[in-house]
Amino acid sequence: MTPIFRVPLHFLVLIPVAAGAAGFLLPKRKYHFLLFLVNVVMVVFAVSTFAAVRWGADITQLMAGWPQWIAIKLVADRYSAPLVLLTTVFFAGTFLFSTRADYLDKTFLFLFTMLESALIGMFLSGDLFNVYVLIELGMLVIAILIMYKQEKQSVYDAMLYLMMNFIAMAFFLLGIGYLYRITGVLDLAAMHQRLPLLENPRAVIVPYAMIMTAIAVKAALFPLFSWLPRAHGAPSAPAIVSAVLSGVQVKAGVYLLVRMSQVFEGVIDAAPFFLAVGFITSIVGFLLAIAQSDIKLILAYHTISQVGLIVVGLHLGSDVAFWGGMYHIINHALFKGLLFLTAGIIIEEYGTRSYAEIRGVLRHMPAIGIGTLAGVLGITGAPFFNGSISKYFIQQGLEGDLGGIGLFVINLGTTLSFVKYSLILFGKPNAARPPSRDPWVATVSVVFGLACLAGGLFGGPTVALVYGPQYSAVGALGTEKVLTFLLTLAIAVAAYFLIVRRIGSFLSTIRRFKFSFNQITVFLTLFFVGLLGYTWWFT
Amino acid sequence: MAFIEQLRIADLAVGIFFLGLYGAMSQRSIVKTIMSVGIMDIGAITFFMMANHQANALPPIAPNPAEQMADPVPQALMITAIVIGVSVIAMCLAMYMRVAYRYGTADWNILIRRLDQ
Repeated sequence: MTPIFRVPLHFLVLIPVAAGAAGFLLPKRKYHFLLFLVNVVMVVFAVSTFAAVRWGADITQLMAGWPQWIAIKLVADRYSAPLVLLTTVFFAGTFLFSTRADYLDKTFLFLFTMLESALIGMFLSGDLFNVYVLIELGMLVIAILIMYKQEKQSVYDAMLYLMMNFIAMAFFLLGIGYLYRITGVLDLAAMHQRLPLLENPRAVIVPYAMIMTAIAVKAALFPLFSWLPRAHGAPSAPAIVSAVLSGVQVKAGVYLLVRMSQVFEGVIDAAPFFLAVGFITSIVGFLLAIAQSDIKLILAYHTISQVGLIVVGLHLGSDVAFWGGMYHIINHALFKGLLFLTAGIIIEEYGTRSYAEIRGVLRHMPAIGIGTLAGVLGITGAPFFNGSISKYFIQQGLEGDLGGIGLFVINLGTTLSFVKYSLILFGKPNAARPPSRDPWVATVSVVFGLACLAGGLFGGPTVALVYGPQYSAVGALGTEKVLTFLLTLAIAVAAYFLIVRRIGSFLSTIRRFKFSFNQITVFLTLFFVGLLGYTWWFT
Repeated sequence: MAFIEQLRIADLAVGIFFLGLYGAMSQRSIVKTIMSVGIMDIGAITFFMMANHQANALPPIAPNPAEQMADPVPQALMITAIVIGVSVIAMCLAMYMRVAYRYGTADWNILIRRLDQ
C-alpha cells in the first residue's frame, strides 16, 4: 500500500499557525469555517504521512537546502508519525466538540492553532535547539490558555506553571550548550553517533542530567508534578484546553524522554532510575486523585498516575512492555481527553465542580454519560476496552511477583479513584433544566468512546497497525484477566465505602496542602542532583 | 588564588546559573524569584555563547577567510534564546502584576494562604 501523495513535513507544522494567523482578519464565522477545513486537511496530511512512514521508510527532511547535520531537520519515523496523527485527530475532535462554546472567540482559536503547530513541530523535530524553541512557544501559549477565562486563582496557576517550566527550560538550554560543546552538533542522529566516541562517558552525565530533569518536569514525574493539576484542572481553563493538555501535551514530555534516551543509548542508561520514579509517580498520583473532590482535579491528578504507568512500561526493558507503554500513550489520550471533554459539559450543565453535588449524569445526558462511562471503563482497564490491552502488554514485561503486585496496586488505585468519579453517573438527576446541546458534542463523545472500545476489541491488530510489532492480545481477554478485573473492582468498591468515605477530614487536609514555589524549585534541584548522582555512580 | 585566574567565562556562566537557581529556591519575594529565573537563563545563554570559543577568531562575515571565522551557530541560536527569555520574563511580570493587585502580596507563602480565602 503506497500513499497517493506525500506532504512536505514542514507543511504539517506551518499549516495550522499560518491559517490561524491569516484567517484572523476574517469575521468569526468564516474563521471558524476556515479552521474546520484546516483541521480536515491536517488529518488527511497526517494520515498520508503516517501511511508513508508505516508502509515505507522514515522520512527525513533537511530545511533550506543545508547539508546533513547542519540543517534543521524534520523527521517522521515510527515514533513520531503516530503521535502527529494522534495530535491532528485530537485537535480536530476537540475543535468540533466546542464549535458552539461561548469562550471560542478568535484569539482563543488562534492560540489553539498555534499550540497545535508547536506540538506537531516538537514531535517532528530532529534537532535539539528546535525542540527547545517549540517547547518554549508551546509553554507561553499554554500559560495564556490556562488563564483564559480569568476565574478564581487562574493567574496564579498560570504563573506557577510558567515559572516552573521556565526553570526547567533553563536547565534544558544549559544541557544543550554542554552537548554542543562536547559533540559540536545539535542534530539528534549525529549526536547519537558521536557520543559513544567519547573517551570518557562521564563527560556527558551533566548535560544528560540537565536535559532529563527538564524533560521530567515536562512529563510531570514525581516529585516535579506540582504544576500539572494546577494547569490541567484549572477552573478557568476551558474543557478543550484541559483535554489537549492531558491528552497530547504531557505525552510530548514522555516522547522526549524516549527520544533522548535513544540519543544517549549505549553511553548512559538510567532505565532503573526512571522505572522507580515512574512507579512512585503512579502511586502518588492516584493517592492524590482519591483525595480530590473537584471532578476536574480528580482527572488531572489521575493523569500523573497514568504517565507514571507509561514511564514504567517504557523502561521495563522488554519490547512488549515498551510498545505497551507507547500504545498506552494513545489510549490515555483517547480516554482522558474524552473524560475531560465530558467533565467540561457536566460542569457547565450542573454549575458545580464538586463530585458530591453531581448525580444522575447517565439519565440526564445519555450521550455524555455513555462517553464518560466508556472513558472510565477504558482507564480502569476493563475487559474489551483499550486500557486493558496496554496494561496487559506492560504486565507481560514484568518479571517476578513483586512487579505484578506493584501493577495490581496501581490498577487498584486507578479503579478506586474512578469508583469515586463514576458516582456522578448514577442516581437521580439534580440539574433542573433539560439539556440543550449541539449534536457535535454528543457525536464526538460517542466517537471517542467507541474508539476506546475498538482499541480494546482489536488491541493486538491496532498496535501492529500503528507501530508495527506483532503481539497477541488474546490473553487480555482470558478468564483470569476478567476475574482479576472483577476482583479489583470489588476491592475498590469495598475500600471506597469502608475506608475512603470515613477519612474525609484527612483527605481535605491533603487537598488543601500546597507546595510553594521555593519548595518546588528545591524538589527540582534534588531531582537533578539525584539523577546526576545515579548516572555518575553507574557510568 | 591561582584557580581564580584559570576560570574561564564558561565556568563563571555555570556559576551564575546555579546562583540564579539558589535565588529561586531561597527567595520568598515573587519579583526576586522572577529575577533569579532570568539570571539562570542568562547563565545558560552565556555558557552557550562560549561553546567552541576560539581566541582571535574573526567575525563570521563574508570577506573574512572561513578558517579563521568564529563558530556562528551559538551566536545565531542565542539571539533566539534571548528573545524567548525576554518574552517569558515579560509575561511572568505581567502575571505578577495581576496577582499582586488581586491578593495584595508579593510573597509566595502569604499568597498560597490567601488563595483559598
